[in-house]
Amino acid sequence: MSERYFQHSYSNGLTLLGEKMPGMQSAAMTLLVPAGAASDPPEASGAGAVLSDLLFRGAGPRDSRQLTDYLDSLGLQRSSNVGVHHMRFSCAAVADKVVEALGAYADVVRRPHLPEDGFRAARELALAALAGLEDEPRQKVMVLLRERHFPWPLGRNTMGRKQELENLTLECCRAHFGRMFQPRGTILAVAGNIDFARLRDEVERHFGDWTGQEPAALELRPPPGRFHHEQHASEQTHIGLAYPSIEETHPDYYAMRLAVEALGGGMSARLFTEIREKRALVYNVWAGYSSLKGYGSIMGYAGTSNDRAQATLDTFIVELHRLAEGIAADELERARIGLKASTIMQGESTSARAGAIAHDFFMRGRIRTLDEIKNAIDAVSLDQVNDYLRRNRPGEMTIVTVGPTPLRMGG
Amino acid sequence: MPLTFQHQQLANGLDVIAEANADAHSIAIGMFVNTGSRDEEPAINGVSHFLEHMMFKGSEKYTWQDVNRIFDEMGARYNAFTSQEMTAYYANVLPEFTQRATEHLAHLLRPAIRQEDFDTEKKVILEEIAMYLDDPGHRVYEQAMAEHFGEHPLSQSVLGAAQRIRELTRQQMQEYFARRYGPGNMAVVATGRVDFPAFVELVERYCGRWPRVDAPRRYPQPAYAPRRKSLSDPKLNRHYIMGFTPGPSAQDERRFAARVLSDVIGDSEGSRFYWALVDKAIAEDADFGFYPHDRCGSYYLSLTTDPDRAHEAMQIALSELEKVKSDLNDDEVERAKNKIASSIVLQGEIPLGRMRAIGGQWLYNREYRSLEQDMATLRAITPQSLRDLMREFPFEPMTIVELGPGKA
Repeated sequence: MSERYFQHSYSNGLTLLGEKMPGMQSAAMTLLVPAGAASDPPEASGAGAVLSDLLFRGAGPRDSRQLTDYLDSLGLQRSSNVGVHHMRFSCAAVADKVVEALGAYADVVRRPHLPEDGFRAARELALAALAGLEDEPRQKVMVLLRERHFPWPLGRNTMGRKQELENLTLECCRAHFGRMFQPRGTILAVAGNIDFARLRDEVERHFGDWTGQEPAALELRPPPGRFHHEQHASEQTHIGLAYPSIEETHPDYYAMRLAVEALGGGMSARLFTEIREKRALVYNVWAGYSSLKGYGSIMGYAGTSNDRAQATLDTFIVELHRLAEGIAADELERARIGLKASTIMQGESTSARAGAIAHDFFMRGRIRTLDEIKNAIDAVSLDQVNDYLRRNRPGEMTIVTVGPTPLRMGG
Repeated sequence: MPLTFQHQQLANGLDVIAEANADAHSIAIGMFVNTGSRDEEPAINGVSHFLEHMMFKGSEKYTWQDVNRIFDEMGARYNAFTSQEMTAYYANVLPEFTQRATEHLAHLLRPAIRQEDFDTEKKVILEEIAMYLDDPGHRVYEQAMAEHFGEHPLSQSVLGAAQRIRELTRQQMQEYFARRYGPGNMAVVATGRVDFPAFVELVERYCGRWPRVDAPRRYPQPAYAPRRKSLSDPKLNRHYIMGFTPGPSAQDERRFAARVLSDVIGDSEGSRFYWALVDKAIAEDADFGFYPHDRCGSYYLSLTTDPDRAHEAMQIALSELEKVKSDLNDDEVERAKNKIASSIVLQGEIPLGRMRAIGGQWLYNREYRSLEQDMATLRAITPQSLRDLMREFPFEPMTIVELGPGKA
């Protein structure tokens, strides 16, 4: 690898990735443990969500307060969340503090206390978050969309299900931890003002003797029906749409990304122009590529006044189909410069790069450098984009609405 | 590499300021105008924000299609925001687009405000208002600001009420624009990869002929009182509480101490509120923060709870505010300072982040503060600074507004 990028595979299956970013004082870490919501036990949806809180209520030599105080004293800006494939731990701070924190993160993923009273509180908070989702129709529609679009268990609500959370036990969480928290498939990425040799040694020290078996593969089941309306007395009707697309590793990936940028990138892109600017049907409308391992999708959202919701949905679907007719040269050039600029500016953020290289390794088995991405974007021709679009018309769409009145969803 | 600051005022009174970072990959350019909802007559409440939208609808030379197309041709990350006190328009571009981005932003700031665009965009504003009505956190925030500030102009919402927006005319907007938008009431800010002399020349070229405006701001004395308001909406599942109480202003030197104190009391991790409320799942969210305004300021507390635990959570929050006045310890102050120091470093690495900080600081104080200065000020804060601050701003009177499913 180059001087700027670093990759090391440990014998226990853990992968360490590094990107040195000149001129930075900070560093950022992204740690992906293959314990996402898709791996929640079948009858215990939300076990991951509870665990992601519980892990920090004491780990290794530190109890809950000591651990929080320690991470705070390092000045770490941090978060942890449950995704589909992974439980993700992120932090950023002045570079040497991030490296110093590795020991504590090792404690969290290897030696958490998982205390009883902490469990009760963590479960209460998970239930509260679910209840709060009922008050956020804009968030709720996308949760329901994922449940209806992806095969089970990939579309499971990462926040869990009410009944199953109420029945969740600490034993179940402990067993889930024991099964899922191991080094095979775990990715630790650090970007910023780093020294590779020191990083490798620290990771070796804290994670080198971690062992565990890779858990069983997931068994997928088709999702429930693809049209759904959820009754809610909201001011707006919230619309979520999705249709299948190609995987990240597909040869047409960059052609697809450019097409989707022409659809939903900047303010001159199709959706903003047709649905908001011209027809003033919405304030908020977007569409983008969403990537799960093995599944790519185009997902979109629009929030619209109830009396205009049918017009919004119809127009949105028309635009998604119209894209397949092809884009013009000027649309491609705007999409190209937009994607390239975002890529370059990603290089200003240690957090963005730590997340990006971790994601790349999971999806592709390797790091993509910023130069590689820029060059690949530059290499796509108009013919390639339009050929891709012709061969990839929107297939069966999943449509979910949240609002006071159901809509006609044929299309 | 150190960041270097420069300032120049053009002949027409327009301030041009820049903080250059040779390690940045991009440049962020912003036009910051010292106007917001607090500067609106009540009859035109919402005009600043609606005007912000209309700025993207074209100038004499450009249509809205041109505006959007040109931004996208630069691959710009661009947007605008309106608050109670300022409106800003910005573009973050690769350095080779500096001239085009500056020119384009200058076009934005001389809008045509065509009737047809005005009528269409009004519907988008109404959609945005409807969107926020589906957000209980935002609803309780707007109500709490209104209740806390009462007759003071800061009580006015940024979006405005739907009926006011429906009645707003293009002439009213144009008059407002002419009164408030111009040199003397705004600054042009650049951060990241900036070549300052070249940048000044660009601003002179595109903005040098703009006429000066004299746009005073009213500063009536706020009349704070311990007001209470309870709102109910049966379709809600959770209970939302927001409290406001006086704090230091954006000009007050103690605003840095206020930021540290807010972290101690209400940061999402490891704070007083976290341990007393979130750790025990008495509230799912419990924040305490600091909003500096122009010549006054507020602390806020924000709780989200189960409706049956709202009262209990509020009592605990208030008692924590009382306790911290007497049992503040050195370690928690040190931890808060470390977290804030980190966030200062991280913000400094992103041109857009610095642009917002510097633009805001200039509008409030006509002053630039480097990252080193901010770090030094932070380091100098002691537990005694926070105790002194709490004596001066003792978290009362506090206005509290609640929104939940139950009967009012």
